[in-house]
Amino acid sequence: MKNKTRFNEMHNFPGTLICVEGIDGSGKSTQLVILRDWLKSLKQDVIFTEWNSSDLISQTTKLAKKKNLLSPKTFSLLHAVDFADRLEQVIIPALKAGFIVLADRYVYTAFARDVARGVDADWVRRVYGFAIQPDLTLYFRVSEDVSLERICANRSPKFYEAGMDLKISADPYESYRIFQKRVNDEYKKMITEYNLVEIDANESIHKKQLFFREEVKKVLAEKGIIL
Amino acid sequence: MSGYKSKNGYEGLLIVIEGTDGSGKSTQIGKLKRWIEDQSYGVMVSEWKTSKFIADAINDAKERNLLNATTFSLLYAADFADRFENIILPALKAGFVVILDRYVYTAFARDVVRGHDIEWVKNLYEYAPEPDMTFYLDVPVEILLKRIIGTTGLDYWESGRDIGLSNDFYNSFKMYQNKCLDEYQKMKSEYGFISIDGTLSEKEIHKKIISNVKNILDVV
Repeated sequence: MKNKTRFNEMHNFPGTLICVEGIDGSGKSTQLVILRDWLKSLKQDVIFTEWNSSDLISQTTKLAKKKNLLSPKTFSLLHAVDFADRLEQVIIPALKAGFIVLADRYVYTAFARDVARGVDADWVRRVYGFAIQPDLTLYFRVSEDVSLERICANRSPKFYEAGMDLKISADPYESYRIFQKRVNDEYKKMITEYNLVEIDANESIHKKQLFFREEVKKVLAEKGIIL
Repeated sequence: MSGYKSKNGYEGLLIVIEGTDGSGKSTQIGKLKRWIEDQSYGVMVSEWKTSKFIADAINDAKERNLLNATTFSLLYAADFADRFENIILPALKAGFVVILDRYVYTAFARDVVRGHDIEWVKNLYEYAPEPDMTFYLDVPVEILLKRIIGTTGLDYWESGRDIGLSNDFYNSFKMYQNKCLDEYQKMKSEYGFISIDGTLSEKEIHKKIISNVKNILDVV
């Protein structure tokens, strides 16, 4: 069931929106940084935007997280505020100006995490109906176990990344595995729903980057930009 | 057990008072609260935009003029979700009479005036239960203007200055409030508001309110 929203239609901006998704430890941020440097070396106009980073609200969200005060729904709405702010202030102006916008996490992060926290899947999709549909989204597939190994090599899982607010398990490692599996399951459902391009995160950095660049070249070629 | 005729499926009752700023809501809520307490019921009042963390974020963002129409809507929705789950719902489950100073209708009116699709806004609040009774204090914009200029003065957001209706504060307030009033008028029948002439005396308004509340409270 899809409503007629901006998110369900292709955008008409001159710019290009490229997103990476996946659970923590999938190597997506590394890949995006390498891609950015490559695009810059080719004299492309590029900007970078990260999840939950707007000045408007990220401090409030962080503070509330610290105190574990918010319900999944409130949490979801606060992340939507952050996203809406970055969308209007950063992403849309850059797309209008013809930039390549690289987003480290996009609305799919909300769809995966919020639903893993028990928020209704249709509800959260409707909340983000104002979003711009990306030109390309890569989903970095990595197992919960590998993610845990990489993220928690020298520290224990953090409260929210382990989904400790859901009280699944008192053991943060166990809770992390269960929660991140739920998140991964949500991502997997979205592969067909949103045409996410899947990439095996276990591959080498070099191989992943080659694949990523090919995908980006295809998308840009459709816009008449030949790299 | 409580003898309430509740529609919301919980033990308690949900009574909402809507109306724009300067319509006399707070005065009436104070009086209604005291009256219900006198009937030996537990009463709780909760006001719009008063959640612990989010209200501060809203005030700060408003002060710095940082909000666009979407972040405005979503922040208020987050504030409501927080209050609903931490304050309103526990009180309803415990059998309190909950009096709310503004409810989702405030968001419907303001967000639609700011250009949002009503269906999108309704979705944000779709989990909110239908109140047992909603009063709407109806005051024409000319009288609202006098009341507000005479007390708090014209506020940037209450004048809708963020949506660029007019550079003139007075005109902007009038246009913005008129648009909000139009939205309230549309909702009156859709949601069965009990509309009360807000230009009547405090005492008369109070009498009208309690004569209706009596119907859902078990009092003689």
